[in-house]
This record gives sequence, structure tokens and C-alpha cells, in this order.
Amino acid sequence: MATPDVFEFIVGVPITCHAFNADRSQVAISPNNNEVHIYSRTATGWALAHVLNDHDKLVTCIDWAPNTNRIVTCSQDRNAYVWTWEAGVQQWKPTLVLLRINRAATFVRWSPLENKFAVASGARLISICYFESENNWWVSKHIKKPIRSTVLSVDWHPENILLVAGSSDMKARVFSAWIKGIDAKASNPVWGEKLPFGTVCGEFSAGGWVHGVAFSPSGNTIAFTAHDSTITIANGPSVPPQVIVAPNLPFVTLFFASEHAIVAAGHDCAPYLIANRGSHWELADKIDGGRKKSVTGNSAFSKFRQMDSRAQAITDVELNTTHQNTITSVRPYAGSGTSVSKFSSSGVDGKLAVWDLLSAGIAGLRL
Amino acid sequence: MAHRKADVDIDDEDQFYDEAEAAAPVAELEAALAAKTADVRALLSRGNVAAALQTALNEPVYGGRDVDSIKERTLQLVMEALAATRPADIAGVVAELRPGQLDVLLKYVYGGMARPDLFNSALLLSWHEKAYEVGGLGAIVRVLTDRRAV
Repeated sequence: MATPDVFEFIVGVPITCHAFNADRSQVAISPNNNEVHIYSRTATGWALAHVLNDHDKLVTCIDWAPNTNRIVTCSQDRNAYVWTWEAGVQQWKPTLVLLRINRAATFVRWSPLENKFAVASGARLISICYFESENNWWVSKHIKKPIRSTVLSVDWHPENILLVAGSSDMKARVFSAWIKGIDAKASNPVWGEKLPFGTVCGEFSAGGWVHGVAFSPSGNTIAFTAHDSTITIANGPSVPPQVIVAPNLPFVTLFFASEHAIVAAGHDCAPYLIANRGSHWELADKIDGGRKKSVTGNSAFSKFRQMDSRAQAITDVELNTTHQNTITSVRPYAGSGTSVSKFSSSGVDGKLAVWDLLSAGIAGLRL
Repeated sequence: MAHRKADVDIDDEDQFYDEAEAAAPVAELEAALAAKTADVRALLSRGNVAAALQTALNEPVYGGRDVDSIKERTLQLVMEALAATRPADIAGVVAELRPGQLDVLLKYVYGGMARPDLFNSALLLSWHEKAYEVGGLGAIVRVLTDRRAV
């Protein structure tokens, strides 16, 4: 079983979201407030390099575009900023994005070509944002119908056109986010021939809020996880989806590690592996073996000392997992898009962990 | 005080309304329940508790006020099957349930626990214990999350 590399930036402060840069030498996190902290890797750990504090309220999501090296952040203040690196002054320069929403922004992701990004929000819509060079600012188009509640997560199809969105109206939907002037004419053999902006290419029901969604590397499969502790996997709009019913607490976040493997994590505080066994998917393994507790000193002695000093026996409140609270985000860390070898996870316990999928004992699983 | 009872949300076009369950007509549901009750009692009298419980849990009735009485009688029917099971057999009966049926069983267990004046909570707790052993926390979360109450 894998032992992950664990980093704790500010002890005890939850990490709302995290994003690494392209070469993984820097990481942007939000310490559960209106700030975004950028840490640089040093020989001994991480050093705080920049604090981006233009948002007024809690930062809900961060994404770092690997090729164009731009950061996009969104917040409960209903704004999104695109941050570009100014090498001359050694600072990140923010550009406000016109989201035109009246509720909090919840989630943001760059498109694969990094010329668009999608912002999910509590205004029951998704803002697809793109750069308008005539006016020199980021503008947005809205996908409104038929979303009936807060959109909690989005993920892009690798071909830059389609988008899957999970919402608290207990549905996951695949939309077209084709923008005139930005994208070439597009069609997709699985999700539809004609894809004008806002087309609903697929709609899937769940038994609870849809927390997390993901496209597979090929874009032919989607997976989403809902608050009824299930993961649903669908191969296109016309095939009946497969539902994996999990015995543990609900997952909130997931991604495809390859065409045949999904990593999911959530309220259970440990990441899980879901694998495709030829014809069907199943919950294959828990990627967290649990740690052996180190008992220091004489246990009988420490027991009586504890009873003496606190008037109680030792109470064990530590979980047998690396994360001590809900994992809110898992993201690929190393490897290609079609075969992720490492991934990172962050959560409410304020830890950021980097896991090695290959050494996690899953190499033996035929994936 | 009349203003306190006025539903101000009627004029809010952004209001979220849950989709009504597409339930069959009440008469059909009544007939189905009568048939189900006969089947369950027949199985119980032959001592086949597992089959009786599975029959009782099949196609649970969901929906609004008009089916309240049907839901009530279905709950009583499930409780009959639960009460007819010997404590030693509970684990075996639970193990035979399909995953979907297990979630429905938990719904009825919680439904029964909500009425301690009518049903035996000690019995329901032992059913809950065995159902939790098989279904885990996931089964409980599914009952809490599912909007279709029994």
C-alpha cells in the first residue's frame, strides 16, 4: 500500500481547493478564506511565494493552465479572475472576468486548449468564458437550460467543445460549449453530430446531489458521483449507465486515471480506485492502507500518566487514514492524460497529499 | 395572522419544485397492495419469511398525500414480515436481499422507528444492526438522500 507525500501548509486550516503548475514546482491553494496562496517548492518543503487577495469572499476553486501558465480563480463574491505572470515586476496580475451571475461561483476549469474556461455557479447556470481581443477582456456566455439548481462541478471533453456538469438538481448533463469565432465546426460520434452552443448532449439522473463529474481520456465515457454513495458511469447518451453502489460515505470528487480506472474520494477520507473489468466497473480497492500507529514509550506508563493529568483514559480520535477529514479535491499529478501515475488530494483537514498510483498495489490489477 | 399562511413563493418563478413522482392511479396501487398483502401473508403462513419480506419490499409506493394510506398499510405489512422473523434468522434474511431491496428495507426500518407507539423499536434496532453490517454507511446515506420517502 502506498504511503503518500503529505504536506501541511497552515496546520489545521482546511484547503478549499488546490492546483499545481505545469512542472509541479508551485502549488496554488486557498486556505478557506478569500486569499489564494502560491507556494514554491524548496529543498526542504514549500515556501510561501505570493498571496493573491483580490477576491472579497471565500475562494471556491482554482485552476492552473499548464501551457499558458495562467491561473483562474472563482469565489463566492460572484467574480472570477484570470491571473497572468508579470515577469518584469515578479507579480501575478489579475484580470476581472464578466461572469454576470447573481450567486456564488462554485467551480472553474480551463478547457484543454486553454482558450476558454467554464465557471459553475449557484445561479443555476454555467458561464463559458473566452477572451475577446477587440475589447481586451474576458466575456462569458451562459448555459442556462435545463439546469434547475446549483452547478457543483464541471469537466471538459478532451476535444475542447463538450462539457459535463453535475448539479444539485440530481442530474449530470453533457453540454456543448462551442463558441463561434473560437472553435472550429465540431461534431462528435458519441455525443452528437450538431453541437451549437448550449446543446444538451446527454442527461443522467442520480439519487442525490451530483458532487463530482469527469470525462474519460477519450471523451467517450463520463463518470459522476452523487450524495447517495454511488458512482455512475455512462458510455454516451443512448447506452444505459452503470451504477456502482458503494458501502461507504459519499464520494465528492473523482477523475479518470486511465480509460479503465477512476480515482474517487470524499467523505470517507480515503481515495478509492474504481476499475473496469472488461464488461463492467467495480469498486476495486482503497488507495490508503492506513498507517500503523507508533506507540512511543511505555504504554502502561503513558496510560496512567494520561489518567492522572487529564482524569481520562487515552481517547483515540485519529482516523486510520492519511487524510483526517473529507477529501474535497483529487487531481492528476504525474503521467499522461491517458495513464496517470500520481495524483494529489486535498481536504478539510488542511493536508495536501501526493499519491503514487503505481506503488499503491494496483499495478497488479489489470487496468 | 392570515398573511403568515400565504404562500409567497407562488409568485417566485425561480422557485424549485420537485418533480412529482409518476405514480400509477390510486385504484391500481390499491389493487397491487391487496395482491401483495395476500402473497406476503400466504408466504408467512408457510414460514417462508425471506420470500415474504422480499415480496413486501418489492415496488414500494412513493408519492404524495393521495397515497398516504397505501404507504401506511405497506409499512404495516413490512412490519408484519419483520416481526415474524426469528431473531436468529435476521442476518440470513438480510443477506438474501438484493442491494436495492436493502436500501428499501432501511427506509421502512426508519419509518417504523418514527412510530414507537405502533412498532417494536427493539426489534427494528436488531434489523438495523444487521442491515448496516451488509449495506454499510452507504445504505444509510442513500435512505437520508433519497427524496422518495416510503
